[in-house]
Amino acid sequence: MKKSLILLVVALMLVLAACGSTTKKESGADKDAVAKKPEKSEVNLYTSRHYDVDNELYKKFEQETGIKVNVIKDEADVLIERIKREGTATKADLLLTADVGRLYRAKEEGLLQTVSSDILSKQIPEKLRDVDDMWVGLTKRARILVYNKDKVKPEELSTYEALTEDQWKNRVLVRSSESVYNQSLLASFIEINGEEKAKEWAQGIVNNFAQNPEGGDRDQAKAIAAGIGDIAIMNSYYFGQMLNSQEPEEVKVAENLGVFFPNQETTGTHVNISGAGVIKGSKNADNALKLLEFLTGEEAQGEFASANYEFPVNHNVAPSELLKSWGEFKEQDIPLSTLGENNAKAIMIFNEVGWK
Amino acid sequence: MNKHLANVNGWTIGAVLIIILLFLPNVSIVTGVFSPASENWTHIKEFMLLNYIKSSLTLVFFTALFTIAIGLSLAWLIAQYDFPLRNFMKWALILPLSIPPFIGAYTYHGIINYTGVIQKTLRNHFDVTPNPAYFDIMNVPGAIFIYTLFLYPYVYMITRIFLSHQSASLIESARTLGKGPLEIFFRVVIPISRVSIIGGASLVVLEVLNDYGVVKYFGIQTFSTAIFQTWFGLGDLDAAIKLAASLMGIVIFILVIERLLRGGKQFSYSTTKVRPLPLVRLKGRKAVFATLYTLVIFSVAFLIPILQLIDWVILTFGKVPMHDVLFYTKNSVIVAGLGAFLIIVFSLVVGNFSRVVNHKFAKILPKLTVLGYSIPGVVVAVAVITTFIALDRFLAPVYQYFGMDSELVLSVSLFMLISAYVIRFFAIGYNSIESGFDKIGTDFRDASRMLGANSLRTFFKIDVPMMKGAIISGFILVFVDILKEIPLTLILRPFNYDTLATKAFQYASDEKIMEASQASLLIVGVSTIAIFVFHKLLREEPK
Repeated sequence: MKKSLILLVVALMLVLAACGSTTKKESGADKDAVAKKPEKSEVNLYTSRHYDVDNELYKKFEQETGIKVNVIKDEADVLIERIKREGTATKADLLLTADVGRLYRAKEEGLLQTVSSDILSKQIPEKLRDVDDMWVGLTKRARILVYNKDKVKPEELSTYEALTEDQWKNRVLVRSSESVYNQSLLASFIEINGEEKAKEWAQGIVNNFAQNPEGGDRDQAKAIAAGIGDIAIMNSYYFGQMLNSQEPEEVKVAENLGVFFPNQETTGTHVNISGAGVIKGSKNADNALKLLEFLTGEEAQGEFASANYEFPVNHNVAPSELLKSWGEFKEQDIPLSTLGENNAKAIMIFNEVGWK
Repeated sequence: MNKHLANVNGWTIGAVLIIILLFLPNVSIVTGVFSPASENWTHIKEFMLLNYIKSSLTLVFFTALFTIAIGLSLAWLIAQYDFPLRNFMKWALILPLSIPPFIGAYTYHGIINYTGVIQKTLRNHFDVTPNPAYFDIMNVPGAIFIYTLFLYPYVYMITRIFLSHQSASLIESARTLGKGPLEIFFRVVIPISRVSIIGGASLVVLEVLNDYGVVKYFGIQTFSTAIFQTWFGLGDLDAAIKLAASLMGIVIFILVIERLLRGGKQFSYSTTKVRPLPLVRLKGRKAVFATLYTLVIFSVAFLIPILQLIDWVILTFGKVPMHDVLFYTKNSVIVAGLGAFLIIVFSLVVGNFSRVVNHKFAKILPKLTVLGYSIPGVVVAVAVITTFIALDRFLAPVYQYFGMDSELVLSVSLFMLISAYVIRFFAIGYNSIESGFDKIGTDFRDASRMLGANSLRTFFKIDVPMMKGAIISGFILVFVDILKEIPLTLILRPFNYDTLATKAFQYASDEKIMEASQASLLIVGVSTIAIFVFHKLLREEPK
């Protein structure tokens, strides 16, 4: 019994190990025939972006180049931890994240390598690339204000900072501090206004909470419609998705709300990026670079913009009609890596002021 | 005598080996307790720990209370009485287990929030705009509600099997002695099914402790929130592991208490004839009440969320790519089936060891394997990755010998994922198997051994057939649990290996619950089929 058990386990091990490597075999099916090098044929992605449009783009890339895109999706920090532990043996070639703070973290851990090409520098503005060329931006999102058109006049709105004033008491809606988007927002204030002022701001917002933070970004907009508060801080692309939701009630909610880009006269609206960096020791670095060039090219950027209501990083690509209708806006002018640098500080401030 | 000893040693070696393998990855977490405190530690202690522990304990206490109340009352109704719909409810009441709690949370919020079906109907058709505060479930009571709905089947299932297969003689004696139903319930049923109740409830407690999806969405700060804030937010994995290790400490404490509660009481079969409990047919008002009660629980915990999911699938039809659905479903079934099979085999070995070797150590040791179930899956995942990469390094010469060009073989294969499932869900399978062994005791085994059958033969001819119920229920529990598992699957799967759960998560984590409904519904569908098939198997069990 025990012997057969052990045999069974060993057999299972082998079968499973074989299963896992079939992807590799399939992708390199022509390897034996033509004796091609494996790095010609694939690129391995660890990504925390989980949108259908991404998969469509990978497929398109495969068709155009013949390079197979293999994907593992999870939260960025978990992926980073896996790469760290795999060390130089890692199969990962490219790390994609939905937030620049995580790219900064990967870079600090020494997991990324420099990557640059003429095409990349042409397609992505310098501001959205790492100073050491360790990562590049793929798309932009703005953290905007949406408000109840019946109760708030746009003239009353000006800056994120103004939301801490007394007239907004019990009227401000925002999700919990666990959201990386809130962490990046506060991190940007730490950079621009200093830690003291940033803490005062967080405290001021907590004082003006319409309710304890709960739910996601879309729930904040719905809470305005439900009359719980009058103004919410949320990501631009969630608002775009609500306007185009399959649920007519969600569309109705969004249509009754106004969009406001804060800090236009002062420091600019907070912008975060999703981006990517090539892993140090990548065995398919050339393919990874090709994929980056493809994803920041005009075709892919157009898809990102229209399918997901993200702002393109490529200047030659216009944002979707909806985003265009919101008009041009002034962005924060700080190095994006500071969002990563100040992330831990931001968390501590959130905890100290009791922003759940 | 010598032969006897040798056999016991065989089981012992097998069992100890399995326990060590299961426990190995957790070692790196346990040692985390002793790691020096980082600079973030004072901050964590000052601002996170106390309040977070408070809300964790509140969640755990009330969820356990309500799941026991619901699970036990249902188990008792089904085990002792006959009433309309009873045969359907017998297995249908397990179905809520197939809905991952975080999907349940999203769905219930979807039903009752401002744009949900209730408020929008009131608004658009009755012109009533109710106070939105009445429809807020994103708080601690709301989370208790969600956990209770989707976790009570643990208690129900384990207790029901126990009651209908074991309690007959005791309950009949009580009946003949003229005891009323209430008295029987409190004086007989509760005491004799204590082991099953505690077994089921401890699974519920562990599940609540390790859950992150529900509390994150609801904005409730619990112990697992603290772990993730420390890791993801502060970027301090060591401190996060230290926290996870303290959580393990709490769990060990709970387990010791459970052991003490169980005490030395044993209620194993008292006669050679194992008879199911004869059902008492309910009539009139009592029958209506029984049907209504089970129907309400079934609707709230299963039917209503499912209808909402179906509604969303229709609403988003054509918007969600469907071409790979079969592939995901197949992947899900394969990993869940393999994982459940291995866990049951291992549980039988360990369970038999624990029963035969009548020593305190042998009773407590298997309990240690529960530890992996108490902490958030991602932390376990990191421990598993570390272990497997070390294993790959160790095996590097072997790989080279076979001419493989890669340094990582096991850690990029399905083997790592399946092993992780075994480590994480062993407790679930083992709980079931253990209560099965508890039930049959050692008398029949001893008789068989005395008559000259060896340990293995006895095991297969006597023990396994008598435990068919426990084996099957253990298998279903693990199968369904793996089907809806998310954190381990996400990070430990090979490239491109999507499952239904990872698909559901992909959408839900981006607040696209409508798009997530398709995969969620398929998880429920596969689980329902599994539960139904095993229900059929159970019914054919020798009476």
